[in-house]
Amino acid sequence: MSILVTLFNILIFPGLLFVCVIGLILAGVDRKVLARMQKRVGPPLVQPFYDFFKLMGKETIVPHAANKAVYLAAPVVGFTSLVVMMLFIPIFGYSAFSGSADMIVIMYLLTIPAVALIVGGSASGSPYAGIGVSREMVTLMSYELPLVLVLLSVAKAAGGNALCFSLNDIVSWQQATGSGITHASLIPAALAMLLVIPAEVGTQPFDVAEAETEICEGPLIEYSGAPLAMFKLNTAMKMFIMTSLFTCLFLGGINTGIVALNAVILVAICILLTILCMTLIHAITARLKIEHLFKFYWIVVAGLAVCSLILVWLGL
Amino acid sequence: MSYIHFPVLAVMLLFMGAFLTVVFGRHNQGVRVGICTVTSVGAFALIAALIKPVMLGGEVISYWMGNWSPVEGYAIGIGYEVDQLGLFFALLVVATVLLSAIYSIKYMENDSSLDFYYVLFQMLAGGVLGLVLTGDVFNMFIMIEIMTFSAVGLTAFRNHKWGAVEAAFKYLIIGSIGSSMVLFGVAILYAQCHTLNMAQLSSILSGNNSPATIMAFALMFTGLAVKAFIVPFHAPAADSYAAAPTSISMVFSGMVNKAGVYGMIRLVYIIFRAMDSSALQMLMVVFGCVTMFVGVTMALAQHDFKRLLAFHSISQIGYVITAAGLGTALGLTGGLFHAMNHTLFKGLLFLCAGAVLKQAGTTNLDQLGGLSKRMPKTTICFLVGAFSISGLPPFNGFASKWLIYQAAFAKAVESGKIIYAFVTVIAVIVSVMTLASFIKVTQAAFFGQLPARLNDVQEAPTLMLVPMWIMSILCVLSGIFYNVVDKYLLAPATDAAINVTNYIDTMMGGGYAAAAGVRNIAIAPAEFSYWNPILWLVLFIVVLAAAFIVMITGKSDRGEILCAETDVEDGKYATFFSGEHSLPSHVAGSDLFWGFKKDWKKYFHVIEGLHSGIVSDYALWAVAASAVIVIVMFGFMR
Repeated sequence: MSILVTLFNILIFPGLLFVCVIGLILAGVDRKVLARMQKRVGPPLVQPFYDFFKLMGKETIVPHAANKAVYLAAPVVGFTSLVVMMLFIPIFGYSAFSGSADMIVIMYLLTIPAVALIVGGSASGSPYAGIGVSREMVTLMSYELPLVLVLLSVAKAAGGNALCFSLNDIVSWQQATGSGITHASLIPAALAMLLVIPAEVGTQPFDVAEAETEICEGPLIEYSGAPLAMFKLNTAMKMFIMTSLFTCLFLGGINTGIVALNAVILVAICILLTILCMTLIHAITARLKIEHLFKFYWIVVAGLAVCSLILVWLGL
Repeated sequence: MSYIHFPVLAVMLLFMGAFLTVVFGRHNQGVRVGICTVTSVGAFALIAALIKPVMLGGEVISYWMGNWSPVEGYAIGIGYEVDQLGLFFALLVVATVLLSAIYSIKYMENDSSLDFYYVLFQMLAGGVLGLVLTGDVFNMFIMIEIMTFSAVGLTAFRNHKWGAVEAAFKYLIIGSIGSSMVLFGVAILYAQCHTLNMAQLSSILSGNNSPATIMAFALMFTGLAVKAFIVPFHAPAADSYAAAPTSISMVFSGMVNKAGVYGMIRLVYIIFRAMDSSALQMLMVVFGCVTMFVGVTMALAQHDFKRLLAFHSISQIGYVITAAGLGTALGLTGGLFHAMNHTLFKGLLFLCAGAVLKQAGTTNLDQLGGLSKRMPKTTICFLVGAFSISGLPPFNGFASKWLIYQAAFAKAVESGKIIYAFVTVIAVIVSVMTLASFIKVTQAAFFGQLPARLNDVQEAPTLMLVPMWIMSILCVLSGIFYNVVDKYLLAPATDAAINVTNYIDTMMGGGYAAAAGVRNIAIAPAEFSYWNPILWLVLFIVVLAAAFIVMITGKSDRGEILCAETDVEDGKYATFFSGEHSLPSHVAGSDLFWGFKKDWKKYFHVIEGLHSGIVSDYALWAVAASAVIVIVMFGFMR
């Protein structure tokens, strides 16, 4: 029976199926709302599903210069690490595998999809992919600094004088003392996290690595068929995972006691966050240059996060 | 029991091997390889046989040379003493020696004067092994000297290359500065304490420092830091690791700089028992952070595969020093774990670089490319090593780095000092930069397009691949079964470093430590809330299976995977560059990370200017840094 529950957790909720479906819905919402903001009609909400299944049925071409095994394995590795990550992010106190969720582990798991994209793109042998790989790596370096500062701020706020890296403990701390966002010292960290999300997902203006208009989607340039579908799915899943990580860190104080209702609330919050920090910024800004992106994250965003860390340390 | 002879036998076996190579191995390669194989396998077996009594049984082995045991409480003979900490490092040494000996057989086949190579190799191995097993500070100095001079000789082994001789010269100068400082420190200690035995020194010096012993401490600390190549003593490391034959580079980063790290841990945790001093903790943490940061940024600027790896060796040693400098059990456990992992993954990466150098003829990242088509097995090994050093789960680098982050942050929240929180931040950022520089190697050497002149490159020979496979497997296993490693290696070693009464009593007779007033420092044992990699791995496999099911079901009969079958030019399989698919257009090493380098160009300008390549500059840094260490210790110790 417990095996069945585990399998249910892994394959349906909150694992594979849930994260894929919600991720694709978020991608659909993003496209629809963006279109409305730009006074277009936009695609239907389920367009990402159509795209996914269409790509799945297309032929997959492995370029001559590519290393076949790495080229084909990269999207699947990224995909699995995203699914695994979702199993460890608590949904308002409910997590499939409690006890071993840890924010440093989550942070490193978050890098795996990026590394998969980098290695896969690199393995395709295209020079555009080479440039894209370089930019993706610099993007990763850019947002990793604010991300770790944000995580440490929350850990210090939640733990006090004890080490507290466990996401479950952070959620229960919030349920005892109010959501993270209600603590004044964590507000700069929350803002920084909101800015980390679009870079992690790779939406405009932080999509320098894929920059369709310059380097033709960079690492993805040679991909076609099922692997491309996986990468597109990964991006959609990242939207959901990053927004639910934000929810876990800063809005974890909500708990209705019913898992299904909590999940619905989570999805609603994630849709709002997607619109706020991805669609809106996408609609009103143009793509940054890579060196500007790096400076922005290391000075502005990291500065916000450092403020938060110092405030938390002073006990404010 | 007979195993008390094993440590000294292992050391003697390696030195005897060097001697026999001189006598019998002048002309016959088979004899040389035979001797080297026997000694390295023998040393490995002798040391591995000690795991059971020492690591599992908790025994400390003491061995008095010529049976000169202590008289009236004073140790006058040279004693070998193997505690769990020493054995931990000894295991790293013999494993590295064995794998390097296997690798050398094929790798060095085209070099001449191989008798010198094998003599120096075995001298080096014996020196480092003696260093980690000895219980006598003057004997330790002698072993340091043997190690340094064999290392200098091996750096210059390919002396038809200008760079090798220059690197050896730098190593000689800076290494001698370090050795002299150790000797000076030992002399002061002998004058003050009238003994050279570590156990007795520990019981005399425990919380009982005079200005003279603080001076001795500072000098020995500096000398061993030179041997560990922490910044600013690191300059000869970068040159010599790059210039030495790769089988030796692996030995350098696997055990020679570990010997310095071991010496520092032995010095601060056991001989002087000074780890509760917050000034010393801060000193080590600052040096460690500077080391890891300077190492990794210099690595990002390199264009040569081996030189890049050399700077990463420096950087990773920074992690170990930082972790050991936190002065907590968790930190020391993380540091020791990282030292072990560094031996595994950096050895692996050096061996990959050696395979590339031997097969493709160069390690210049701007001239390589697309080697994964010709050397697929080397590529897989390299990726395992690169992911391990970058700390991606579930490889071993992740487990140890995760411990270090946790230890630094725990130190921060417990002591209330925000600076330790920034240590965690620096460690994470350095880890990401490490990833970046390995992405650079991946893209520049192994992926991308194959230049025409590398078309005939072959996969490395099996004898070279065997050590690489062994290390790759160990990298994965020690990441997944971290708790086995912790239980049998790390926890005993950490405990031995923190609780020294057993060490002293075994050497000097029961009750000696208590009589001298030595008590175990109350450092809380490491409490782990490790992640559970096995659970994660199972999940990963289940999800991987599910993903494949989705891929298969989502596929119609048109969704097939098409590959170019032969070398036929077909536009469908070409990679295009501005519409011209025939133009070679590889993105090489120096083309990457443009935005990052632009933002940091002032920093790179300064730091590259400081690495002037002039040995007197480096000597100046070394002296300046030792002055800083002396001042800090006089100002804030006690």
